Amino acid sequence: MPLKVNDLSKLYSEKRGLYPVSLSIRSGELVAVVGHNGAGKSTLLKLISGWLAPDSGSVEVDGISSLDRCAYVKKVGFVPETPNLFDRFSVEYNFRLFAGLFNASFKRIDRLLKEFDLTSYRSARVHVLSKGLKQRANIGRALLSNPGFILFDEPTLGLDFEMTRDVYRLLKKVHSAKKTVLFTSHRPEEIRSLATRIIVLHEGRVVFDGPPKKYFRSRTYRELYL
Amino acid sequence: MIKNLALLITNDLAAAFKNKSLFLILFIPLFAVLSLKLVDRSPGDFGRVNLGIVQNQRYPYSVMNALRSADRAFSLETVISIDEGEALLRERVLDGILVREGGGLELVVLKKEAFKTLAIVSGLTELQRKTEGRNPNWITDIRPLHAGGFQFQSLPTWVLMSILLVSLIILPAQVADEKEKKLLLGLLQTPMRESEWLASKVLTGMALSILAVLLLHVMGLFGAGNAVAYITFIVAGTFCFSSFGVMLGFLCASQSSARTLGVLFYLPLLLPSALSDFSSRLSSIAPLIPSYNLFEPVRAALLEGGRIADFTFDLACLLLIGLAACFITLKLIKKRWLM
Repeated sequence: MPLKVNDLSKLYSEKRGLYPVSLSIRSGELVAVVGHNGAGKSTLLKLISGWLAPDSGSVEVDGISSLDRCAYVKKVGFVPETPNLFDRFSVEYNFRLFAGLFNASFKRIDRLLKEFDLTSYRSARVHVLSKGLKQRANIGRALLSNPGFILFDEPTLGLDFEMTRDVYRLLKKVHSAKKTVLFTSHRPEEIRSLATRIIVLHEGRVVFDGPPKKYFRSRTYRELYL
Repeated sequence: MIKNLALLITNDLAAAFKNKSLFLILFIPLFAVLSLKLVDRSPGDFGRVNLGIVQNQRYPYSVMNALRSADRAFSLETVISIDEGEALLRERVLDGILVREGGGLELVVLKKEAFKTLAIVSGLTELQRKTEGRNPNWITDIRPLHAGGFQFQSLPTWVLMSILLVSLIILPAQVADEKEKKLLLGLLQTPMRESEWLASKVLTGMALSILAVLLLHVMGLFGAGNAVAYITFIVAGTFCFSSFGVMLGFLCASQSSARTLGVLFYLPLLLPSALSDFSSRLSSIAPLIPSYNLFEPVRAALLEGGRIADFTFDLACLLLIGLAACFITLKLIKKRWLM
C-alpha cells in the first residue's frame, strides 16, 4: 500500500518541529525513520496518522487523502509510543470497542488475541499488564481494521532487551503479512537488520533516505552517531 | 531539610498554578465577597413594596390611609380582578396583593417562606403599630401562589444544582481525561466521525443530568407541575450545559485543569439564580446569567404551572448556547486542540 507525502510540515517554534518534507513509500517496504530526540520523527508519524493537523502539505495512502479521515483511517493503523487503551477496562473490552467502531468481526478479535499471545490476558484490565503486554495489545488494536499501512512510533521506548526483541519480532510478523510498515527509532543499530530502507531526520529535515547498508557507511551516520 | 521543603513547596505551588488550582483559591473568596455584596442586608433593602389592591373591594379606611401616607415604603396599584393581580404577581410587577377575606385582609404572595414576604409583613406590622397601636393584625392570612411546601419550592434550586454539577464538574474532567490519555486520538483513528464523539459526550451528560433530576423526584416524591413545559426545559437545559461542559473540558489539557475550570463556571452559574429568591439585587442580576434561562422556566413550570409559550426566549437562549458550544468544540477537535 503506497504512501505519498507532499511538503508536509508542522513547526512548534522556529527550531522545533518538521520543515516541509516530501517522500513516497512503496507497497511492502519496512521503513525506519531515525534521528535524535526532537528531530521530528514523532511529528512526521503523527502528521501521517492524523494525530496532528499539519501547517502545510498533504498525505495520501493508496490514493486516499488524509483529509477523507473516515476512509483514510481504515487504510492506516497507528501504534503510538505510549499505549492509549482504556486502561480501566479489559483487553477484550478494548478490542471489542474498537472492533465495533471499525465494523470488524469478533472473529478477528479472537484471531488477533491468539496471534499476539494475549488470549490468557483477554479479561485482564489493561492497567495491570506489563509494558510489553500493553504494547502488544496496542499493536493488536491497531490491526483490528486490517490496515495495509502501519505506523509505529518508538515501539520499543522504555522496554527492556527481551521485550524490545519481542516487539521487533511482531514488527517483522506484521511486515511479512504483506503490510507496509513505517516506524521510528532513535537507536539505528537496533534496526540494522530489520528495515529495508532508512530515512534520517535531523532538526526537522530529511538528511538521508536510502538502504541500511548505504546508511551505515554514510557520512550522515558517522556525523550523527559516531 | 528547610531547603528541600522550600523546593518541594515551590514545586507544588507551580503545579497548582499550572493546573489552575491557584485561580480557584483566588476566585472563591472574590466570588463570595461579590455575592455577599449583592445579597440584601435587611428586609429594608428591598426598597419600596409594590402592593396590589383589587378594584370594587372595600378595604378598611384606616389601612388604606396608612398605606397611602407611607408612600416611601409602599406603593399601591389597583387591579381590576384578583386574577389580573395574580398574573402581575407572577410577572414580578407586584410584590403582593391585598384581598378582602371575611373580616380581615389576606395577603397573596408568590412564596410564603421568602424574604420578600417577610419584608411586606414586617412593613405592614410596623405601619399598623405606628398608626393604631396594639390593635389586631391587619393581615389575617397569607396565601402563596407557588404550589407545595418549602421542600417542593426549593426543588428548582436542587434541579439546577444537579444539572450544573454533572455538566460542569463531572463532564469536563471526563473529556479532559480522554484527551490527556490520548484516548480520544485513539478513537479518532477509527472511522467514527468527530461529531459522533461530540454527540455521545453531550448525550451522556444529558442522560446523567436527567437521571439526577429523576432521582430527586423519585426520592422526594415530587410532582412535575406542568410536565410538558418542565420536561422540555430540562431537556433543553441539560443539552445547553452538557455541550458547554464538553467545550470546557476540551479547552483544557489535563483533568485537573478541567475540574478547576468547571468550578470557576459552576459557582457563578449556580448561586445568582439559586439565591435570586432571597435578594432583590441578585434577582436583578440573575436574568443576565444563562443558568437563569433554565432556572426561571423550571421554577415556573413546577410551582406556577408555567407554559413553554411564556418562556420561548429562554428556550431559544438555551438551545443557541448549546449549539454554539457544540460548534466551538467541533472546531477545536478538528484543530486537534491541545491534543
